[in-house]
Amino acid sequence: MNLQCCWHNVTISPGDCPYIEPGEEDLLVSHERRVIEKCSNCPRFISELEGMKSAGEPLAPILKILTVELVDLRVRLESMDGFLNSKTREIRFLHELSTVLQTSMDLDEVLSVAMTAITAGKGFGMNRAFLLMCDKDQNYLRGYLGVGPRSYEEAWHIWQEVEQTNLTLKEMAQFFRENKLFSEKVKFQDILERLSVPLEDQTHILTRSLHEKRPILVVEAFNNPLVSREFAEILNVDSFLVMPLISGNRKIGVLIADNFITQRAITHQDIQSIETFAFPVAFALVRASLYEQLHEEVDKLTLANRKLQEQQELIVKMEKMALVGRITSSIAHSIRNPLMVIGGFARSLLKSIEVDDPKKEYLSSIIQEARQLEDVLVEILNYSDSLYPVKDQWDLNQLLEDSCRDLQPKFAAVDCSCRFELAEDLPTVLIDYKQISYCVRTLLVTALENRSPGGELLVCSRWWDHVVMLEIYDQNGSLPEDVWETMATPFSSTQELGVAGVVGLPICRTILEKSGNSLEIERSQGGGMRYIIRLHLQKEE
Amino acid sequence: MARLLVVDDESSIRLLYSQELGEEGYDVVTAGSAVEAVEKLQNEQFDLILLDIKLKNESGLDLLQKIVKDRHDLPVVLCSAFSCYKDDFSAWLADGYVVKSSDLQELKDEIKKVLAKKQNR
Repeated sequence: MNLQCCWHNVTISPGDCPYIEPGEEDLLVSHERRVIEKCSNCPRFISELEGMKSAGEPLAPILKILTVELVDLRVRLESMDGFLNSKTREIRFLHELSTVLQTSMDLDEVLSVAMTAITAGKGFGMNRAFLLMCDKDQNYLRGYLGVGPRSYEEAWHIWQEVEQTNLTLKEMAQFFRENKLFSEKVKFQDILERLSVPLEDQTHILTRSLHEKRPILVVEAFNNPLVSREFAEILNVDSFLVMPLISGNRKIGVLIADNFITQRAITHQDIQSIETFAFPVAFALVRASLYEQLHEEVDKLTLANRKLQEQQELIVKMEKMALVGRITSSIAHSIRNPLMVIGGFARSLLKSIEVDDPKKEYLSSIIQEARQLEDVLVEILNYSDSLYPVKDQWDLNQLLEDSCRDLQPKFAAVDCSCRFELAEDLPTVLIDYKQISYCVRTLLVTALENRSPGGELLVCSRWWDHVVMLEIYDQNGSLPEDVWETMATPFSSTQELGVAGVVGLPICRTILEKSGNSLEIERSQGGGMRYIIRLHLQKEE
Repeated sequence: MARLLVVDDESSIRLLYSQELGEEGYDVVTAGSAVEAVEKLQNEQFDLILLDIKLKNESGLDLLQKIVKDRHDLPVVLCSAFSCYKDDFSAWLADGYVVKSSDLQELKDEIKKVLAKKQNR
C-alpha cells in the first residue's frame, strides 16, 4: 500500500505535515503527540484509513471508530475548557466586583461600579443599563441613572476608547465616577424622567419584577402583553432584562439592561450572572445609602451640638452679664444719693461764693466730676433697665427724628448737620422705645464724639422682607481701636467711663442682641463710619 | 409762698432740698419717714409733696397711695434714685417723677410745673 500521509514516520521533515503550524516544530520528532493532535483531523490520514479498510486491514474500522471518538472528545474538552475559562474570568470579575462593593461606603462609587460592571466588556458586556431607585417613602420607582451609548457611532467610539486602555474594573469605575457619572445622567435625562412607576402599580413589568423578586427577560417588547407600548417606546429596544434589587425585604430599585446597539440576544447565562451580581449591588446600595443618611444625621447632630454649646455659652455669658447688671445697678443706686448731695451742695455753695474766690474753681471741679459720675450712672442703669424690655409698635422714623432733634446742641458743637433719608412706607416695629431710642442716641453721640468737625451725618431708614435697617453714616467719622475693643464686653476698658463709645456701644449691642436684633459698626470703603441697627419685624406677643 | 413737704430718709438730702428750694422761695418742711410725713400731713397744710420712693423699711409708693386716697387734691412729685419706677403702675398716681441729680434744676422745673397745674385746676 502506497502511504502518502506521514503518520507512519517516527520523525518527519518540515512541510511533510501541512497542519503543523509555526511554534509546533517539536511535533516533527514527537511521533505520539503528532498522531494524537494532528492525524485524527488530517484528510490524508482519513483517506488512508479508508484505503486500509478497503484493503481488508482488520484494525482499520476500529481505528476509524477510535479516531472519531478522539475528535469528539477533543471538541468536548475544548468546549469545557472554554466554559471553565469563562467561569474563571467571571469568578475573578465577581471577586473584584464584590471587593469594591464591600469596601465602598459611597453611593456614587457603588453606582459607578455597578453600572460599569454591567456595561463593560470585561463585565457583563451589556450595551445599556438603567438604574431605577425606590424613593424614601417607598411610593415611587424613579429613573436615577442611565449608562451606555445612544447611537452606534457613540458605541463605536466608546469601544475604541476601551480598547486603547487596559483598565481594571475598579479603575474603569473610578474613571466613570470622576468623568462620566454626571454627563451620563444628563445624557439619559429624557428617558430617566419618563421612567417613573408607582410601586403600587403591580401590573407594570418593573414593579412586577420587584414584587415577585425575580428577574424578567422581555423579548419582542413591542408585542409583549407584559409590556405597555409606551414603556417599550421609552426604551426603544426589542429585548431587555429587568433585574430587581432587593436587600432583605427592602426594595431598593430595579436594573434594566439591554443590547440596544448590538441586538445580541440576552442569554440564560447573562441572566444568571447579573442575578448573582444584583444581590451584592443591592446590599452595597443599602449600606451606602444608610452610611450617607448616617453622615447627614451626624452632621445634623454636630450642628445641633454646636448650637447647643453656643446657647450654653450664651446663657452663661448672659447670666454673668445679668449678675454684672444687678451688681452695677445696686452700686449705682447706692452712689446716686451721696453723689447728689455732694454735687448739690457744691452747686449751692458755688452760687453763694464771691466771683473772685479761689475756691470757686474747686467747687466747679466737684460739680463737673459729680455730673460726669451721674452720666456714668445713667449708662449703667440703662443697661440694668435693658434686662426688662417693654415692647410696643413704634414709628422708627419718628424715633430717629426725635433723637437727632434732642441732640442738636451736640451736633452744633462739632459743626455737624443732620440729613435724613427715611423710607416713606416704613412699617411700625414692635420695640421697647426707650431701649431703641437709647441705642440710636448712643450711636449718634458716639459718631459725634469720634469725628472731625464739619460735614453731616446721614440718617437713613430702610426695610425689606422682614428687616428694618436704621443706618447712621458719617463721612468724617473714625472710631478708635480702643472703642472697637470695648464692643466685646461692657466695662472691660480701663478708659474713663462715661464716654458713649466705651460704655454705651456694648450696652446697645446687648440690648439689640437680647431682643433678636443686631448692631453693626463698620468702616466704610469710601471713608467714614457706618453704624447700622437691624430690627426684625415681628408680631406682637 | 408755696409750702412743700419733703419726704426723704437721708438727712443730707433733706438739708439740700431745704436749702435749694428755700432759696427758690418755697416754705420747706421735711420728714424722714412715712410715719412722720403722715403725722405732718394731718397737722399742717401743704401745697406739694416731694416724695422719695425708697424710705428705709417703708415704701414711698405705699405712702403715695395713701396720700392720693386721703388728699387727692395734694400734688406729689416722686424723686428717686431709681429711674425704673417711672414704668411702675403705682408711680403713675404721682403728678411728677424726677430722677435724683446733683443738678436740681429739673426738680425745680417740675415743682413749678405741677404747682402751676394745680393753680389752673
